[in-house]
Amino acid sequence: MANVIEMKEERKDFKEEFETTDMALFVRTSEESMNDWNRQRIVDALIRETYIDVDTAKEIAREVEDLIVTSKIKMITAPLVRELVDTKLVERGLEQARKMHTRLGMPLYDVDQLILHPNKENANVPHGPEATNLTLAERIKKEYALLSVFSQETADAHIRGDIHLHDLGFVDRPYCSGQSLEYIKRFGLSLPNSIAMAKPAKHPEVLLAHMVKFAAALQSNFAGAIGWDAVNLFFAPYLVGMSDRDLEQLAQMMIFEFSQQAVARGGQAIFTDLNLYWEIPKHFENVPAIGPGGERTGKNYSDYMKESQRFAWALFNVFLEGDGSGRPFFFPKPLVHITEKFFQTPGHMDFLHHICEVASEKGNTYFVFDRGETAKISECCRLSFKLDQTDLEDAKEPWKMRYCALQNVTLNLPRMAYLAKGDDTRLFSKLTEFIEVAVKAHLEKKAFIEKLLSVGERGPLALLAMNRDGSPYLRMHRASFLIGMVGLNELVQVHTGQEMHQSRQTFKFGLKVIAHMKLLVDKLSERYGMHFVLEQTPAESTAYRFAKLDLRFHSPRSGHIVKGDISKGEVYYTNSTYLNNSAVLNPIERVRQEGLFHPLIEAGALTHIWLGEAKPSKESLANFVIKTFRQTQNDQIAFSPEFTTCNACNRTSRGLRSSCQYCGSQEVDGITRITGYFTKLSSWNKGKIGELRNRYRNQAYIEEAERGAALKVG
Amino acid sequence: MIEIKGFLETSFLDWPGKICSVLFLPGCNFRCPYCHNHPLVFHPGQFASIPLKKILRRLRSFKDWIDGVCITGGEPTLHADLPLLIREIKESGFPVKLDTNGSCPGILEKLIEEGRLDFVSMDVKGPLDPFSYRRATGLPVDLSLISKSIEILKREKVEYQFRVTVVPQLHSREEMRTLAQQLGAGRRVILQNFNPEDPLDPSLKKTVPYDPKALKEMERMVQEMM
Repeated sequence: MANVIEMKEERKDFKEEFETTDMALFVRTSEESMNDWNRQRIVDALIRETYIDVDTAKEIAREVEDLIVTSKIKMITAPLVRELVDTKLVERGLEQARKMHTRLGMPLYDVDQLILHPNKENANVPHGPEATNLTLAERIKKEYALLSVFSQETADAHIRGDIHLHDLGFVDRPYCSGQSLEYIKRFGLSLPNSIAMAKPAKHPEVLLAHMVKFAAALQSNFAGAIGWDAVNLFFAPYLVGMSDRDLEQLAQMMIFEFSQQAVARGGQAIFTDLNLYWEIPKHFENVPAIGPGGERTGKNYSDYMKESQRFAWALFNVFLEGDGSGRPFFFPKPLVHITEKFFQTPGHMDFLHHICEVASEKGNTYFVFDRGETAKISECCRLSFKLDQTDLEDAKEPWKMRYCALQNVTLNLPRMAYLAKGDDTRLFSKLTEFIEVAVKAHLEKKAFIEKLLSVGERGPLALLAMNRDGSPYLRMHRASFLIGMVGLNELVQVHTGQEMHQSRQTFKFGLKVIAHMKLLVDKLSERYGMHFVLEQTPAESTAYRFAKLDLRFHSPRSGHIVKGDISKGEVYYTNSTYLNNSAVLNPIERVRQEGLFHPLIEAGALTHIWLGEAKPSKESLANFVIKTFRQTQNDQIAFSPEFTTCNACNRTSRGLRSSCQYCGSQEVDGITRITGYFTKLSSWNKGKIGELRNRYRNQAYIEEAERGAALKVG
Repeated sequence: MIEIKGFLETSFLDWPGKICSVLFLPGCNFRCPYCHNHPLVFHPGQFASIPLKKILRRLRSFKDWIDGVCITGGEPTLHADLPLLIREIKESGFPVKLDTNGSCPGILEKLIEEGRLDFVSMDVKGPLDPFSYRRATGLPVDLSLISKSIEILKREKVEYQFRVTVVPQLHSREEMRTLAQQLGAGRRVILQNFNPEDPLDPSLKKTVPYDPKALKEMERMVQEMM
């Protein structure tokens, strides 16, 4: 960091006045060197970093020097000098200058804690030196974002907890993205900062290697998920004539490559989505296929159905098996698109049973419902995009199909209800107000990213600026801007006195709120010429953060509203538009009711079915999936079982237990889905632990006659 | 009328291929040490009964989804008015599956002959000899009744399966082989793992169930024997 006061720079500016006190004082600098005292450096820094005049700067420097002299310190550090200067700025009411002169950093104690204890904000980050590097960097960038990228108004809204600006530690990157394998198939792997350029792959293993490396490169340029469209189909031209064994081997390589945390950022597995199709998606049917060497094969994708299906099948064989100790793979996430055409494609029932078996045994499968003529591509936890006409044009040249969401801003819905005090008009005007703040945040982030991109391939986002096909990799004009929500259920509860599942009226009110949000977002899209969309925020830590902040600012009211256990600090709001996790609602009701929100949430939505210990029959799950497709508006479902994996004997059993069922060891980890992905419970934040305790897992409840207590029956 | 003590609105595992609702009836004439529904057997009075009317009303609101109703227990065939309950459910348009331990072949036969049942799942507790059965059910059991029920099902007047809950101490591979031979029902025999969470006989809590893979392999063996 170029902090002059830390003596990184040569002495050069403002040399005319050189009468600094000759103190036997050393300043420990960030350059790992000791420099003797020189008051002029304070002046230099103030002039360089702020807008104050030279005289004031000199005056401040002198005052600070006096302070140090009288205190008789023998050695001081550069940060201390900076803080002393800041107090002088504050004394003079130079608020703006003080802000510009801010030092970003962390207290020794915090760093110590960080290095010794795991990060719980994102359960996908393990604990280790790489992870702490990531966290340290994130802390500084977060401060930077709130001071320098976003306006004070936006930053305050975030800090107050009206809104949540996601991934502030990754402020210099877009949020998440979806790719097409066709890009690396056609152009090979030629990254702007890389020392070697790879031509298009000739063999499937090499294509896989390119895919993995490109994913890692993308991970260092995006904050969140990296999705891949139609993976099995785009691999197909490389798989012609491959034996079952080799194909299975390739499938294994793919899944292990993406699941093992080898090279990735902060030791964090790449959040990878694999979109898979049993049929040839309509928009790819007549598209000329690209095969080995990046050449067109002379056939269309519709000619590769067999290879495409075999590969999809093989991938699910691997998921079914699980990892070396029988655990489900946390990543990559397989998303199977269920469409009208799926049901017209031969073998679909066998495949459906196959993926349902995986859903039952390991839980991996996501069922994405593309009804009617819409085609969708999924990008993040549950972020998917419906392809519109221009996208379908792009589909003819599939390497162009790369999408991104630039930022995600989530609204604290219950907060609006506390502020509205039961008044409908106030509630909806608060909603408008909050959305406007979110839009402002998006504009600020967009301006910042555009600034970074404007330097092109020599800038910090070189990869996203690389231009191989006539437009930069990141197609800004196609970017989306996400507006998420947390705690619709609690908004309704505060405002009407009942939760959404408790009456038809309150449920309808919830729908009305989201419909209004959708309307506003559409209007704002038109006004700004940007694509704002509603998203079901995964809210892994936001649901916890909002609940904690509201407990502070809206007590005692909030004490009756937040879910979880206040005494243990395990509090949360219900995620997005979900119904209360603990409500005794059968999966049919949940899928049906929650699905009513999904058409309003353009950027994708999901209903979780928590299975707990139960292992359903694959045929029954298939039956349920078909009915969900036919009889609801639900966009996406996933079934989540729970597991206990033993670190002593490396075996995995069903259900969450305190000790291993096989060897009795207490060295166990629970595993289940936290929001949109599987992970170990030991890494969960308190809010999500509270939610987990409450999740209704479709047990039969048998009521005790007298006390009304409940007994679970498997 | 029958007391219904528990109601699971949707189950993905009680009726293969179907989405079904499950009704739990109280009381049982067996004392299987690995039973995990035992409060229903010993203290049915502790639990509130759910009115059938309420159940039927709920069922009707999921008519397009629920493919059938599974009646389980306890042991449902001990209730004299079971046929009545079944009729009510069928009249509401839902197929019925019955879970039974096969100790009342008379009722079973009658229900099947009258076409009241769409599926029967019979729990077979172990090899069909007095010692094994007594050990697995905790009581002396008249084996002729069990054999009779098996014979009734094998007439194939109704879809059926034999379900064995496998506990390592009670069901060795050898014993399972014997049972498979006695049943001669091939793929209609399914195995389920015992759950040590809260068994009737607390000493079984320490029992380690079979590894899921081993169980699956055992099921394959059992199913392949005709």
